[in-house]
Amino acid sequence: MARHIAHRLMISLPVLLGVLLIGFLLLQVVPTDPATVSAGPSATKADIEAIRLQMGLDQPIWIQFLHYITRVLQLDLGRSMISNRAVSEEIALTLGPTVELMLACLIWAAPLGILLGSLAARRHGSWIDRAIMAFSVVGVSVPVFWIGLLLIQHVGGAGWLPFQGRDGPLWTLAGLQSIILPAFTLGCVFVGPVARMTRTSMLETLAADYVRTARAKGISEWRVTIRHGLRNALIPVVTLIGLQIGFLVGGSVVTETMFAWPGVGRMAVGAITSSDFPLAQGAILILAIGFLAVNLIVDVLYAWLDPRIGTARS
Amino acid sequence: MSEVAVEVDAAADPHVARKAWRRILSDPVAALAAVLLLAIVAAALLAPWIAPTDPYASNLRFRLCPIGGARCPQMLLGADQQGRDMVSRLLFGLRATLMLGFTAVAIGGGIGATLGLLAAYYRRLDAPLMRLVDVLLSFPPILFGLAIAAVIGTGLNGLIVALCITAIPSIARISRGAAQQVMQQEYMEAGRAAGNRDFKMLWHYLAANTWPVILIYMTLQLGQAILLGAALSFLGLGAQPPTAELGSMAADGRKFLQISPHVSTLPCALIFLLVLAFNVLGDALRDALDPQLRQ
Repeated sequence: MARHIAHRLMISLPVLLGVLLIGFLLLQVVPTDPATVSAGPSATKADIEAIRLQMGLDQPIWIQFLHYITRVLQLDLGRSMISNRAVSEEIALTLGPTVELMLACLIWAAPLGILLGSLAARRHGSWIDRAIMAFSVVGVSVPVFWIGLLLIQHVGGAGWLPFQGRDGPLWTLAGLQSIILPAFTLGCVFVGPVARMTRTSMLETLAADYVRTARAKGISEWRVTIRHGLRNALIPVVTLIGLQIGFLVGGSVVTETMFAWPGVGRMAVGAITSSDFPLAQGAILILAIGFLAVNLIVDVLYAWLDPRIGTARS
Repeated sequence: MSEVAVEVDAAADPHVARKAWRRILSDPVAALAAVLLLAIVAAALLAPWIAPTDPYASNLRFRLCPIGGARCPQMLLGADQQGRDMVSRLLFGLRATLMLGFTAVAIGGGIGATLGLLAAYYRRLDAPLMRLVDVLLSFPPILFGLAIAAVIGTGLNGLIVALCITAIPSIARISRGAAQQVMQQEYMEAGRAAGNRDFKMLWHYLAANTWPVILIYMTLQLGQAILLGAALSFLGLGAQPPTAELGSMAADGRKFLQISPHVSTLPCALIFLLVLAFNVLGDALRDALDPQLRQ
């Protein structure tokens, strides 16, 4: 088990370095010279040179990169060029809403996807199966922004629910109301893939020997499906849902931007379009690291749920 | 998404492409998708000749004219916020969106296919190349889009680079799987015994016998590439207004959603139809190629 986790960490390391390199590159393309900025408008050439030395800007690029990594490890991501606030501060403000939105999406979309997938596998080949699969293809083909636009036009436009911004924390009525439309939009593109994966996984388990044994014992069909089928089919589904988090990140960037949801994705898009390089760097870094962390957790969870994985690797 | 990485052993079969097409034509839904796709691609290719007007010619008299509006009887699908003809904009937008997807999948898929062939041919390269592919595959595509837009600026160039990179890993995997099957064939050994150079072995023996499968999987990738490209353009990171591109047209029309929904709904619906047709066709192709399902 410990070895499995170590192995995963080893694979994540080069990805992490790549992400840090992108972040570093972003700070290199900043058009203004950081030494000139921090010296202030009244500084002499000698002052600027002194600050340049002090900031280590005269050193070879790879040493600057090492400095950058140590700064990131200390959570120092620089300052936003527009708001002049620390990037880490900005991220701290936006991370909560993003996590909130993703959870609000998962909480209804994942169970619904699993339910539809099980139903399709249970009635394999019937019209229910075909309808659910058709629905799932539609789900992966529809642009997430179209769902959002339709909801804004018909539900938001009619004044039934708010569709701009986050009116408060999740536990207040206003906050709860404002998360409904974004969470529904994001979830719509998530149900399809989950249903599909559950169906594939379920079909495999329902064909297993122990399911036949259970049937032979005379247990009712639904009990077989749930106790013997679903419980075993869920192990790969948990991992696959975890891997789809990347898909969710993509959807959430679009959803947050559309609904003016104050999350990391909207911040990243805003920073890029307004050329706020330090903020863009921080936002991309946190999205990537968050994604890696979730993948790692899911992987460990998988090894824990299915003991065969841990032993097979070691 | 993760389901794309299916191992194929269809490469050993020289008639794989013909069989796949025959199978698709026997499935009514897939055949319908193929016909729809052909029509869409033809419309996009012929856009300069069949479009009623210039997609950039604005006329404020027709501003936000609805579908079938009395103000603009000559405009079949109304006009946008600058009075430009929607039919022309949609045709040219479709053309741009398709071109983006095709270019990205052709370049990225080409790179991926080469990597896969090399990994299968030179065993020593296999582990490092596939590790690289795993890294690329494990990353959310939208993050590539964001990072590249941030580094080289928003616009079409960055968008194409991002779409290329996201197309590389899955094609590389498929191409490696198909090439490994071909590597086990006797003619490979015969070719080597005949004293052929590595380049000739790779190009005339390995690539020549794997490309049908690779090409089919590239089609499968197109839908995803188009969807991602449209999303990035919608966010304002890809095609910029006034360029007629479906994603940026949808974003552009967002401000007039309550008064003239057709300006953003039409491009959205067109993207959906296009991607749906690609996905339905892709699923059918995958079923046709999957050896387990074929038996």
